[in-house]
Amino acid sequence: MKARILVVDDDEALAEMIGIVLRNDGFEPFFCADGAQALAAFRSSKPDLVLLDLMLPGVDGIEVCRAIRAESDVAIVMLTAKSDTSDVVRGLESGADDYVPKPFKPAELVARVRARLRPGDQKAPETLAIADVTIDVAGHTVHRAGKKISLTPLEFDLLVALARKPWQVFTRELLLEQVWGYRHAADTRLVNVHVQRLRSKIEQDPEAPEVVLTVRGVGYRAGQ
Amino acid sequence: MTKLQEHKPRGRGGASPAMPAAGGNLTTGAAADARAARQARLRGILRRIPGWLRRTWVLLLRWVLRPAGRWLDRRRLGLRRRWRTSLQFRTVLVTLLIAFIALVGVGAYLSSQIANGLFQERLQQAKQESSRGISQVQESFDNAQLSDVPAASTYVRDTLKLLEVGGADDTRRYLMVLVPGQNNSLFVATVSSGGITPAIIPDQLRTAVQGHSGQYWQSISLSAGSSEEHPALAVGSNVNLLGTHYELYLIYDLNNAQVTLNYIQSVLWLGGGILLLLFGGIALYVTRNVVLPISQAAAVSEKLASGQLQERMVVRGEDEVARLASSFNRMANSLQEQITQLATLSHMQQSFVSDVSHELRTPLTTVRMAAEVLFDARDSFDPVNKRSAELLYHQVERFQALLADLLEISRFDAGAAVLDAEPGDIFAVIHNVMEGAHPLAEQCGSVLTVAGSTEKYGSVVDMDPRRIDRILRNLVVNALEHGDGKPVELFVASDADTIAVAVRDHGIGMSADEVTRAFDRFWRADPARARTTGGSGLGLAIATEDSRLHGGLLEAWGKPGVGSCFRLTLPRRSGTAPGPSPVGLPPGGDDDASGNLHLTGELVPAVDFESNITGAEPISGRTVL
Repeated sequence: MKARILVVDDDEALAEMIGIVLRNDGFEPFFCADGAQALAAFRSSKPDLVLLDLMLPGVDGIEVCRAIRAESDVAIVMLTAKSDTSDVVRGLESGADDYVPKPFKPAELVARVRARLRPGDQKAPETLAIADVTIDVAGHTVHRAGKKISLTPLEFDLLVALARKPWQVFTRELLLEQVWGYRHAADTRLVNVHVQRLRSKIEQDPEAPEVVLTVRGVGYRAGQ
Repeated sequence: MTKLQEHKPRGRGGASPAMPAAGGNLTTGAAADARAARQARLRGILRRIPGWLRRTWVLLLRWVLRPAGRWLDRRRLGLRRRWRTSLQFRTVLVTLLIAFIALVGVGAYLSSQIANGLFQERLQQAKQESSRGISQVQESFDNAQLSDVPAASTYVRDTLKLLEVGGADDTRRYLMVLVPGQNNSLFVATVSSGGITPAIIPDQLRTAVQGHSGQYWQSISLSAGSSEEHPALAVGSNVNLLGTHYELYLIYDLNNAQVTLNYIQSVLWLGGGILLLLFGGIALYVTRNVVLPISQAAAVSEKLASGQLQERMVVRGEDEVARLASSFNRMANSLQEQITQLATLSHMQQSFVSDVSHELRTPLTTVRMAAEVLFDARDSFDPVNKRSAELLYHQVERFQALLADLLEISRFDAGAAVLDAEPGDIFAVIHNVMEGAHPLAEQCGSVLTVAGSTEKYGSVVDMDPRRIDRILRNLVVNALEHGDGKPVELFVASDADTIAVAVRDHGIGMSADEVTRAFDRFWRADPARARTTGGSGLGLAIATEDSRLHGGLLEAWGKPGVGSCFRLTLPRRSGTAPGPSPVGLPPGGDDDASGNLHLTGELVPAVDFESNITGAEPISGRTVL
């Protein structure tokens, strides 16, 4: 079955070009050119992944991202023309899993899409624990003190990567490779922002984390 | 206080012979006796003093004088500081001092003039009255026909009574003494009025009167009551009664004149004091009027300097001070206007760059994707279309790189570039750069090596890894491109405050002129040279901006035919200035045409690199690519 991808971009030429590339690689693209209708398009097309331009007429890409994230854990990849730190961070904080800066190569785009669509390869039944958080890897669920916590697939992958090797300190580059599937060093802000988002969901006090600890100057590791 | 006194006995017309010279210091015998007694008592007390004086002195020193001295020192320091820092304090103090000196001078002069005038007037009067009175007495004496002493005494007393009433305003007293050394049976003993004794007449005057005819005078002091002494004038003359010589003195009390003088003087001092206060007040008022706006201007300009551009001075009236305030405000207005304008311009430029960046990037993305789709399918095209697809693809790549560089430099120019620094190991960045440069090194046939000397201070530095990576990548690619296939070396060294990386090649090198232009935008070392990597010509300009953003320094060295060297020096902690670079420029001297390294200082040869590396990121010691 073809993966369904919703492309939200106001530039028709680019959207069409992206469609050509995606179809070429065996995906099924849907299009939406207006931020205001993006949520309706999302609901009707039920995509596996959303490619979202940050600069949209009408409703801003960041608003759209928040709205989609509020009702779904679907993978969201932003297309950004501005590479300023604040824009990228704002996009990631609003719930995007990854971003592709314009101008991008077709191969780059497809690689990002594939990395996010990686089928949850049938995982063996496995239960992990960090501090008072328990993770059921096969069931894709996380509990803290008996209460279920809802995580996006990306956040779940990040937590599992850390929990599987609690003795290891992960550099940001290593996490980018294992969780996001980047083969070469990329933007470490991705890791920073998603660790913050993860902490805000699973930590008692995100200011004094116990589950995901920072190792200053190196990276992150799981708590005990 | 000036006294109405003149100590010298004076002759009429000043013609009297044998006038004693030291008349000015004459004192009466009684006074001398009193002084001697006082001195004796004082000596007795002084002898008893040392015992208890020493003890009280020590106590005094410990409890009173030292704190007082310290307090005075503090006061003096405070005053000195005020003298230095306050124009107003200085002006008022100087005005008061000068006014005081002037007033004291004028006051002293006036006082002495008035005193002199009063005295001379009284003296003339006294002399005239005396000569009249004495000639009356002498006349009366000449007509006397007396035979016995009591009769003579009575006659003299009656005669002299005339003198008592002759005085104008001051009471006049008299004294008649027998000139000693006369052998006469009929003589009259000392006759006086108002309790006058011969003791108050100075010896000098007496001698003069005894020996000569004529009128003599001298200032004396007359005791009135217990402690009071009045200035007085003694006028003496020799009179003859029945062949016997007597000294007849008329004594004028000058107290009235002295009271007048005292009054005038106290009025003078009071007036002077009031004038002094007035001067001080005027100086205070004037300096306040001038100094206040000045200190207000200073305060306002300090606020302006600290960025509070809306700060202004208060304008009152239309005088010079108001002009100062209004022109100051005009200056501030124009400054604020220009700064706001510049800020607006900079903001506009920033948003322009941002907009251009977005507007250009979206179509470029489409073009690039389309070009790549065509490029990927080129094998199915005929030769012409195939070549066109290839050209399109490569030129779009180049265009994209150029646009990226242009946008980056505009971001620097607009002041929109921000440093995202965190502590990191420089070797981690170098490792990535070396890995990335691998294909190009192979293509150029150059050997790429790293030599480090960071074992003492480590290789962690506050940096934005993305920017440092871009700088070093640029330097290494440049070195490889211009290295003529000869080895390219990286030197890394650090000290307590600074870390430096130098990239050295042994290729075509640069002339001194080229070195100075190396960082110019769009400048190329050799226009005729093949552009292997199709650089934009902005690489070094961007690298300079990147290093400047870190507070660091990017420098170049070159020698034609010998090679070039670029050195990046970074402060370890962002916000501080880098110290002297721990790596030489070029490292190991400039006579190195052969490619052999002559390392100096703390640098170690590349072969020892592995054992010396202290970076957290393990990288191979000698990277031969």
